[in-house]
Amino acid sequence: MKASSLDRANRRNGLLFCLPWLIGLSVFLIYPLCAALYYSLCDYSVLLPPVFIGLDNYAGLMRDPLFWKSLGNTAYFAAGSVTLGLLVSLSLALLLNSKVKGLGLYRTIFFLPSLMPVVASSILWMWMYNGQSGLINTGLHSLGVNGPAWLADPLWSKPAIIIMAVWGAGNAMVVYLAGLQDVPTSLYEAALIDGAGFFQRLIHVTIPMISPVIYFNVVLSIISGFQAFTQAFIMTGSTGAPERSTLFYVLNLYNVGFQDLRMGYASAMAWVLFVIILLLTLAATKLSQRLVTYDR
Amino acid sequence: MKGPLRALSHRVSALALITAVASLVVTASSGCSTSRDKQAPRHLTYWEKWTGFEGEAMDAIVDDFNAKEAAHAKADPNYAPIEVEKVTITKIEQKLLIAIAGGNPPDLAGHYSFAVAAYADHGALTDLGPLLAKSGFDRNRYIEHYVQLGEHRGKTWALPLVPASTALVFNKRLFQEAGLDPDHPPTTIEEFDAYAEKLTKWEVTLPSGEKQIQSGYLPNVPAAQKRLLQAGFLPGEPSWWLTGWGDFFGGRLIDGPDTISTANPANIRAFEWVASYSNKLGVGVIKRFRSGFGNSSSPQSAFLSGKVAMVLQGVWIHNYIEKYAPGLRWGAAPFPYPADRPELAGTTHAEADVLMIPKGSAHPNEALAFMQYASTQAVLEKLCLGQQKFTPLVSVSDEFWRAHPNPYIRLFRDLGVSKNAVNIPKTGIWNEYNRELGNAVDLIQSLKQPPAQALAEVQEKMQAALDRDTKILALRQAQ
Amino acid sequence: MPSPNPLNRTNPLIHLPLLALATLFALPLLWLLLNSVQPREQVGKIPPEWLPRQSYLKVGNETVPVTPPVPVGTDKLVVVPNAGPKRGLHLLVEPTDFHDGQVKLRSQVADRVLEASYPAQLAQSVPAHFVVVKEWFLSKYSSREARVFYVEPSAVQRQIAPVFGNYPEAVRALSASEKDKARPLGELLGKSALPWTHKGDRTKTITFITYLSNTLLVALLSVIGTLCSSSLVAYGLSRIQWKGRATLFSITLATMMVPFPVLMVPLYGVFRSLGWIGTLLPLWVPTFFGGAFNIFLLRQFFLTIPSELSDAARIDGCSEFEIFWRIVLPLSRPALSVVALFTFLNAWNEFLAPLIFLTEPETFTMALGLQQYQSQFGGSEWHLLMGASALLVMPIIVLFFFAQKSFIQGISTTGMGGR
Repeated sequence: MKASSLDRANRRNGLLFCLPWLIGLSVFLIYPLCAALYYSLCDYSVLLPPVFIGLDNYAGLMRDPLFWKSLGNTAYFAAGSVTLGLLVSLSLALLLNSKVKGLGLYRTIFFLPSLMPVVASSILWMWMYNGQSGLINTGLHSLGVNGPAWLADPLWSKPAIIIMAVWGAGNAMVVYLAGLQDVPTSLYEAALIDGAGFFQRLIHVTIPMISPVIYFNVVLSIISGFQAFTQAFIMTGSTGAPERSTLFYVLNLYNVGFQDLRMGYASAMAWVLFVIILLLTLAATKLSQRLVTYDR
Repeated sequence: MKGPLRALSHRVSALALITAVASLVVTASSGCSTSRDKQAPRHLTYWEKWTGFEGEAMDAIVDDFNAKEAAHAKADPNYAPIEVEKVTITKIEQKLLIAIAGGNPPDLAGHYSFAVAAYADHGALTDLGPLLAKSGFDRNRYIEHYVQLGEHRGKTWALPLVPASTALVFNKRLFQEAGLDPDHPPTTIEEFDAYAEKLTKWEVTLPSGEKQIQSGYLPNVPAAQKRLLQAGFLPGEPSWWLTGWGDFFGGRLIDGPDTISTANPANIRAFEWVASYSNKLGVGVIKRFRSGFGNSSSPQSAFLSGKVAMVLQGVWIHNYIEKYAPGLRWGAAPFPYPADRPELAGTTHAEADVLMIPKGSAHPNEALAFMQYASTQAVLEKLCLGQQKFTPLVSVSDEFWRAHPNPYIRLFRDLGVSKNAVNIPKTGIWNEYNRELGNAVDLIQSLKQPPAQALAEVQEKMQAALDRDTKILALRQAQ
Repeated sequence: MPSPNPLNRTNPLIHLPLLALATLFALPLLWLLLNSVQPREQVGKIPPEWLPRQSYLKVGNETVPVTPPVPVGTDKLVVVPNAGPKRGLHLLVEPTDFHDGQVKLRSQVADRVLEASYPAQLAQSVPAHFVVVKEWFLSKYSSREARVFYVEPSAVQRQIAPVFGNYPEAVRALSASEKDKARPLGELLGKSALPWTHKGDRTKTITFITYLSNTLLVALLSVIGTLCSSSLVAYGLSRIQWKGRATLFSITLATMMVPFPVLMVPLYGVFRSLGWIGTLLPLWVPTFFGGAFNIFLLRQFFLTIPSELSDAARIDGCSEFEIFWRIVLPLSRPALSVVALFTFLNAWNEFLAPLIFLTEPETFTMALGLQQYQSQFGGSEWHLLMGASALLVMPIIVLFFFAQKSFIQGISTTGMGGR
């Protein structure tokens, strides 16, 4: 079919409007992505030209206990913060969904922490987690419980960071709240008429109706959970002490690439991260096709 | 028709506006050039890591140099003076390499000697050889051990500025209280261990409920009834040389340029000795005890507050004591050696703060001029006196000895000159090696892994890393 | 036990858990703000105290803020030597060291302790139950010596008083050099290096204001860049029918899955070859070329604008840009303000990108400045760390209260969750 002059004009206009993005896409996204692939096959220290070494970097990764440890740490953190975050933010949204007095104040209190710069909240929580004079341990002590050394204890360092992440999950709560308020009351009325109790209403009406929102949020949370960096960097230093328990994937990448200047190796790590996120998103999509209801 | 024409002009004007704003902002952000005439000062950025009194000592030197240059320019209008701007960069080990790699390095930088090998191998430094040759550099003025710290693979990459050495530093009052002679510190490791036991004090809760102070390791008293008040020695306090304990037992971390020797018997012996302290005191006890220590540069630091009686410390300890614990009666002596290895007497960790010229420095000749100035005897003595350390030069003026406030300065210098002065292995993978070793020592001290196993794992991993590096170096040279 | 109760009655049982959770969530921020105005000695106290308290001593007509009282312990004397190295100073000595008008002083020289006696006068007799307080002054960089008082314990009063002086002291402590730290605050702020001053002006000093202006510059430019580019692209992807727009859109969606850490190494190389490492350019220039998420957002919004408006305008002879500028954009104000708000917030909070791309302290953003501060003083000056953190957080809180509706609406409609 011959393109009419209108089509041609439209295409020209469309491309013109999209020009910034086309430039941005190629320069800041596609080129770096391909460059990262090339660098991952080289030894590259920026100051010296890259030397092609084939798949040595990837082989090295497989043998590298730090790689596996950082992957494990990150998976632990992502799983923990996503599930706990989901539970807490969903529960809060459910609690706030009724016409509570002071809704605005509650919403502010829960939402505000999610706006704070991670650097500031990391410093704050670092102080609160202090084994001797921190707020948390002295609070626990007054309840008769001896708190662990938190950030200094390899077993508790990740849970400590997860708790901090959950504190900042207020934005998810707002999303769920909005989603909940979109659920038509007619469905609830129908369920009540059928004699459904609270939990049945929850499981059969509420959750399916907001499942698209939950899905979207969970996917985004997982992706950002795998990128955790700042909290570990600030609270436990760049080595992920103690015993590398908080050596997250991106922290390891940063160390290798920008401290040891092994950019080739770091690029290999970057690509592995990319593939992992891709696979996770695909898995989530497949799962969503079964669990998420997009009916009308 | 007015439509398309107007549309075009709208679009163009909008585009022009955006471009104008953007370019204005871009130029503003990247700054404008400052040179006006040809006698404008040659500006040198110098990144240094020191803060506090050490930083001030260097500030004085920089001020002197700038004044000298200004005077020269005044006398000779055709001379463009060099103007040094010293910028204090904390955690320079994290920031310098990345600045050099980013193409935005300072003209001159002060770093630690153990970074030279890695930086040189990465191509981050300017070879000082040709520059020094032109300027009539006399290597013999320097103490051999310190000047070779700046050399790697046959080339000179950095010059030592302020040296350091480590020794056994102990609290004389605590010695006396424990019935030990403060004028006779331990000379062998075995003696040292015996002293440490006597210097360890606990508050014990007796069955009757009353509290009593007892010394020794008290293995028969259950942990719940004793609280550590004072430790004779803690290998982790301070934690700066945690990876270097092997040196005192004759173990080296590298055996030649191609072999990693972490797991050699002397090192294993050293770290078993380190682990023995965790055994004697108890890992939990040490953790709790240490959590009460303050910052190492504060009156609450372990040694300064009298909580630990003996430490391995560097020549700067005098100033810390002066500042934070002025009443402390302290002594210094060479760190003990194993009784069966008397040839190891006088072993010390001898590193130095060095000056290096990053690759891509905009003013290498000016940087060299400053380095030369800073390495003259008078200036170096002024700097080292201000930092309360000794100089890396062979010749020392009488005035320096007389004016020096550190009562043990001669001891520290003798240690630095001795044949048993050791330095951190000069290898490009030291950063990684140090991290791995630090992690291993962490595990050894927490008694989670026996030293032989932990060290063997590090050796395996680091040997692979070294082989990888050697292979890449060969590939690069073949290119 | 929540769910929208069709009978419109709020279940009373939800108040308790809600209140409990709200308290837990509010505590950390409250702790931050309260700690930031506590005096140094109070911050590390065990058990921790919530309200900032200051000790005061009445000296003549003055009420002097002082450090928390410490018991003297045993009987002592305050003497003033008339001669010797400590001449004229008030010294606290044991009663046995002072008799016949002579005080015995000890000093350490090398590893020996020397004793010497000097004539002295008795200034004050200090019984064992007395306490010692030191004049508490705002800045440890002040050149004035603090006065020391030995008084009855009851003379020292503790009152609730916030120490706002922590903030200027935190600002001062963030400066780069020791010399700068001793300057008066007004002078320091006036000489702050700002990003639009000539790079290399050596009379400028680096302070908190420098970091703040860097952050503001990057944030504002990012907002302008994002608004301009993302709206243009979103328009192209939604309001113009052209072949290939669906493909471009799918690619856009796909790129949302490529996180920054994956790209950061080669991006570093790109900026390096442009010579931009060490400047603020890498932080905001890319925003002028679009961002996948904002494009997606705006596109969705633009799709809700009836196409009849565009069609009518086209018939009238308007160009696409005119339609964009005069019809679509004005209608998109809510979406645009949400994008602007969140772009600003992200730029303010950003840490990893500045960490990698910025090398000169004079270009640091506030987040980076705070981290540098923490790495320098971490573990010792918590009251200043809390003060500096509070300074970073307060603008956000203020912004929130002004733009609350936009924030909430923005998150609700766009589902921006999971940072």
